[in-house]
Amino acid sequence: MTLLLHTWQFFTQHPGTIWRHTLQQLYLVAIPMSAAIVVAVPLTMLATRVRWLYGPVMGFANAMQTIPSLALLAIMIAIGLGIGVLPAVLALFLYALMPIVRNTYVGIMGVDPGVKDAARGMGVTSWQLLWMVEMPLALHVIIAGIRSSLVATIGFATLASLIGAGGLGSLIMEGMGMASNSIVLAGTIPAIVLAFLAEGLMGGLERALTPRGLRV
Amino acid sequence: MTNGEAILEFRGVTKSFGGRAPAVRGFTLSVPRGQLVVLIGPSGCGKTTTLRMVNRLIEPTAGAIWIEGRDCKTYNPVELRRRLGYVIQRIGLMPHLTIADNISFVLRFMGQPPAARRARAAELLEMVGLAPEEYLDRFPAELSGGQQQRIGVLRALAHDPDIILMDEPFGALDPLMREQLQEEFKRLLRTVSKTIVFVTHDMDEALLMADVIVLMKDGQIVQVAPPEDMLRNPADEFVASFIGRHRVLRQASEVSVADVMIASPAMTGAANGLARSLELMRRRRVNSLLVHDQEGRFEGVVRQADLQQHIEDGDQSPVGSLADRAVEALSPSDSGLTAMHRLLEHQRADSLPVLDENHRIVGLVTRGTLVGLLGDALRVASGVQDLNVADPTLPAPASGEMAP
Ligand SMILES: Nc1ncnc2c1ncn2[C@@H]1O[C@H](COP(=O)(O)OP(=O)(O)O)[C@@H](O)[C@H]1O
Ligand SMILES: [Mg+2]
Repeated sequence: MTLLLHTWQFFTQHPGTIWRHTLQQLYLVAIPMSAAIVVAVPLTMLATRVRWLYGPVMGFANAMQTIPSLALLAIMIAIGLGIGVLPAVLALFLYALMPIVRNTYVGIMGVDPGVKDAARGMGVTSWQLLWMVEMPLALHVIIAGIRSSLVATIGFATLASLIGAGGLGSLIMEGMGMASNSIVLAGTIPAIVLAFLAEGLMGGLERALTPRGLRV
Repeated sequence: MTNGEAILEFRGVTKSFGGRAPAVRGFTLSVPRGQLVVLIGPSGCGKTTTLRMVNRLIEPTAGAIWIEGRDCKTYNPVELRRRLGYVIQRIGLMPHLTIADNISFVLRFMGQPPAARRARAAELLEMVGLAPEEYLDRFPAELSGGQQQRIGVLRALAHDPDIILMDEPFGALDPLMREQLQEEFKRLLRTVSKTIVFVTHDMDEALLMADVIVLMKDGQIVQVAPPEDMLRNPADEFVASFIGRHRVLRQASEVSVADVMIASPAMTGAANGLARSLELMRRRRVNSLLVHDQEGRFEGVVRQADLQQHIEDGDQSPVGSLADRAVEALSPSDSGLTAMHRLLEHQRADSLPVLDENHRIVGLVTRGTLVGLLGDALRVASGVQDLNVADPTLPAPASGEMAP
């Protein structure tokens, strides 16, 4: 009980600190996620057209996800990026790629071949096929990929403070250094809330973007 | 076929997919405006490949296809496809679009305003008796397979193309639904005059729909003829066997007993013992045997019940003594109709032997045979599905063992 009380006190006494760390955390998630979406979705779409691309793209993304997250951070330092926000963002970006690549590919390739054949036979161009048939039908699958990538990234971002990137992780580290459980909790609770919020939001988005014709 | 006003012409079209024998070889055909041409043949004979070369989803390796006096290759493929209609077995409606948007899919790419597209969709729905207000805003997944393919056909008509390509459009539907759509489609075609290339592997469907049937085998055309001509004058053995039962069973009156009889009925020699004859019946799974003498001449019919009775009574006489001679017989040249009449007259007999002029047994006609004959005749005449009439008491027509 006293722990919760102390935590509450920390929240009310240092709203600025909490807010700053949360905002940092948001950046740490938003920047690599945006980059991952912007890179992975178009690249994978291209790979559905230029088949040989898929192997290398998926292989790379897979490797990045397979490397243990701490090791990935260590590699950033080892390759000379040092510590701070930049190596953390890069590591998070690499880590976020795989679920997006996988779901984009599966989503687009999974569109009924009959539907694609009919569309082509009716004279849609390759781009129209992508935008007006494959994308609408694959979108909810792609969003599901982004969702799992996002949840993983939020978790991983907490570790990024280990290489000096700030965020809620650094609040937790600080608390542990001072053997103050209330400060640890003050970092942990917003991190958890963020994760659930992201999960909930993305779930809603996924449902909203499932075409009505696929929901009946 | 005349070269009259050909809207579509195949000129020595060949397609190879590398290495193996070409999928389509030297395909030459001209399709007059307004005709429904059916491409038919066993699976893998190149029907789909031929069809998809018309709208350039597949490019020929050699030869050319001309549409309205112009080589296909001179059209932009996308433009070309928008001049054609395309219906496939997998239907391929866009699941995320409403029925209205599905039907008018091509119109959207042709830049028609939404209101006009919707109006066209409604008009087409009415043509097949579907209430527009009920269907326009629904999604494909809410419709049955039959309804979905109706929409698939309407979609191909939306932009009023002159030529429609159909690849086994009704192939995935259950028999009842298929028949219904075939009829409906024929009716629809009377109101919209179109040139149609229709692929099927179902001879019933071909006979029902075709103005001209193109029978293919191993990528080549075997015969091109209107249904009636193909039935009466098949070009070769392959054609005959592909349409075989239809040719033979066109009409019961045209069919001879020789065409429909069981050529190797279950028989037993008159000198054979009773038990041996009974065993023969069991093996052939029949309940009567034709009894013949040493020269193969008809001696009579012996029935299972009689045999069993006499065996139980300890009768040691040969089977010939039990043969019922008071049975009417048919000749191979009698018509199927005659056979039917005789069987109906003789309520007691469920089969009649077929004898040549020397009274030798050449076959057997059962009620089952004739029901099959009637069924086929009806089916050919009206497109009704296979009734699957099977008679378990029929002797197996294959293995023709003749007991000495
Ligand atoms: N894309 C392809 N690549 C290689 N072979 C093909 C391809 N499409 C069809 N074939 C071959 O060409 C032949 C004819 O196929 P198809 O036209 O689909 O026959 P059908 O429609 O009469 O069943 C088959 O042997 C098939 O395996
Ligand atoms: Mg086919």
